[in-house]
Amino acid sequence: MSQKSTSREETIIEKAKSRFPEYIKETKIDNNRRVTISFDKDHVQEIAKWMRDDIGFDHLKGIAGVDYPTHKKLEVLYLAGSFSKPEIQDIIVTLKAELPKDAPTISSVVSIWESAHFHEREAFEMFGINFEGHPDLRKLLTLDNWDGPPPMLKDIKFPEMGQR
Amino acid sequence: MTANPPTPTIASNEAKEPSTMDVSVGPQHPGSGHVRLLMRVDGDYIVSIDPDIGYVHRGCEKIAEYRNYVSNIPHLERPCIIDAIHLNWAYVLPVEELQGVIVPPRGQYISTIAAEMNRIMSHLYWLAINAGVFSGHTTIFMWAFGDRDLFIELAEWLTGARLTYSFLPPGGPRRDFPSGFEQKLAKLLDYFEKRLVEYDRMFLSNPLVVARAKGIGVLKKKDAIKLGVTGPVLRGSGVEYDVRKVEPYGAYADLEFQIPTFKEGDSYSRYLVRFEEMKQSISIIRQALNKMPKGPIARKAPLVAPEGEAIGRVESSRGEITVMVIGDNSDKPYRVKIMNGSFRNLIALPYLIRNVHVADMPIIYGSLDYWPVEADR
Repeated sequence: MSQKSTSREETIIEKAKSRFPEYIKETKIDNNRRVTISFDKDHVQEIAKWMRDDIGFDHLKGIAGVDYPTHKKLEVLYLAGSFSKPEIQDIIVTLKAELPKDAPTISSVVSIWESAHFHEREAFEMFGINFEGHPDLRKLLTLDNWDGPPPMLKDIKFPEMGQR
Repeated sequence: MTANPPTPTIASNEAKEPSTMDVSVGPQHPGSGHVRLLMRVDGDYIVSIDPDIGYVHRGCEKIAEYRNYVSNIPHLERPCIIDAIHLNWAYVLPVEELQGVIVPPRGQYISTIAAEMNRIMSHLYWLAINAGVFSGHTTIFMWAFGDRDLFIELAEWLTGARLTYSFLPPGGPRRDFPSGFEQKLAKLLDYFEKRLVEYDRMFLSNPLVVARAKGIGVLKKKDAIKLGVTGPVLRGSGVEYDVRKVEPYGAYADLEFQIPTFKEGDSYSRYLVRFEEMKQSISIIRQALNKMPKGPIARKAPLVAPEGEAIGRVESSRGEITVMVIGDNSDKPYRVKIMNGSFRNLIALPYLIRNVHVADMPIIYGSLDYWPVEADR
């Protein structure tokens, strides 16, 4: 099983590298059927469209923002999976893009993966990531009167909860 | 408060017809947590809805960054207290992967049995409230809630708590079966199997239920894939996808079970999926009880997790829960991201509750088994 799954993961990475030689920055395979592909943020739509149409990753499981204040960057992670292709159903591909912390902007992938709709809204609210082209980008979870900075950023601290 | 009044934007993209009216449903508790649905209605028809969620948001992911790995378990399982084992397990799997801890076989079997008991309890809650009460069927509410309590009592005997078990710390379950537990559980399963036949007669085959649920809220297979819904909602639309089969965790690789799927994609087929899943859970628990290996139940896990990220996933009662944990060589996670079934199925609400009668709204909402607290986290 492990032999077989390793080759499937490597195939995805090889295909990605040959299709987008200049956009793919870094790739990684984790032991448990997890593929990570870091790419240039300006080409998210091309890569997402290729992932959906050519490889078969037809839905997003979620979009996670991660804040790295020491590097002054945000990372946005798209976790994609496949329902329609049984041979790759167990693989989760994480597409990773780096955004500058002062102006975190990236194109929306809602037109490619409709399942991204609420995930992008959440990442917009929690990390202040601006998804350009999202049809309805507004707050989702926080209170109507919350006008503070995006609460999941690392510089927003809640000392009453303890030390971090 | 801000000056901006909440406006239903899915509707605001369309021009507001003079014949329509905006109605706010909620945010009182419709049976599974606080949520507001902003409906735009035209007479008896719902033109569009905008789900306004977040009334029970408590920032679980932020809190998780302040607590150490073990202290995170109680609050991360709270978002869906009727399905606590699955939320707990989904968080613990990536932590164990980061720490390199492997749970011994007996621990895997105990976790699997506890999880399947939890699936039955959660589906019974759904049957009582989201299917029964929402369609005005009070008998099934009483029956399902009564039988759910029998499982809760057993779970309390095993874990010490009725709903919020915190049963699976990294390394394996907290307790082994108390003596006599297996016999009691086997007896309860025999009883429950007979009850399912009666549920079928009272609820599923009831012409009133069929008339209200059949053909209502149809989610086609290609739309289900496109929207990325999960769990019984996905399988009710004919997509055979279950994490227990796709990527077996726990003891599922050793056990035989089917993935019930139905092609129709309507509310009734989602009912059927959950009914069949309860039958499968009975069979899974019976097999696991028969195959139960001997030996230790848990291994000692370190308190610290190294640098790196891990993604784990389980099939909960409401669909796949995917949890990503990023460690930074300390005793607290750098980031925990929870992607759960309710949040992923949220997109089906505005999609399905459209061009339907107002009276069909609770049926569709109930058939999705949407749990607002889980979605809000």
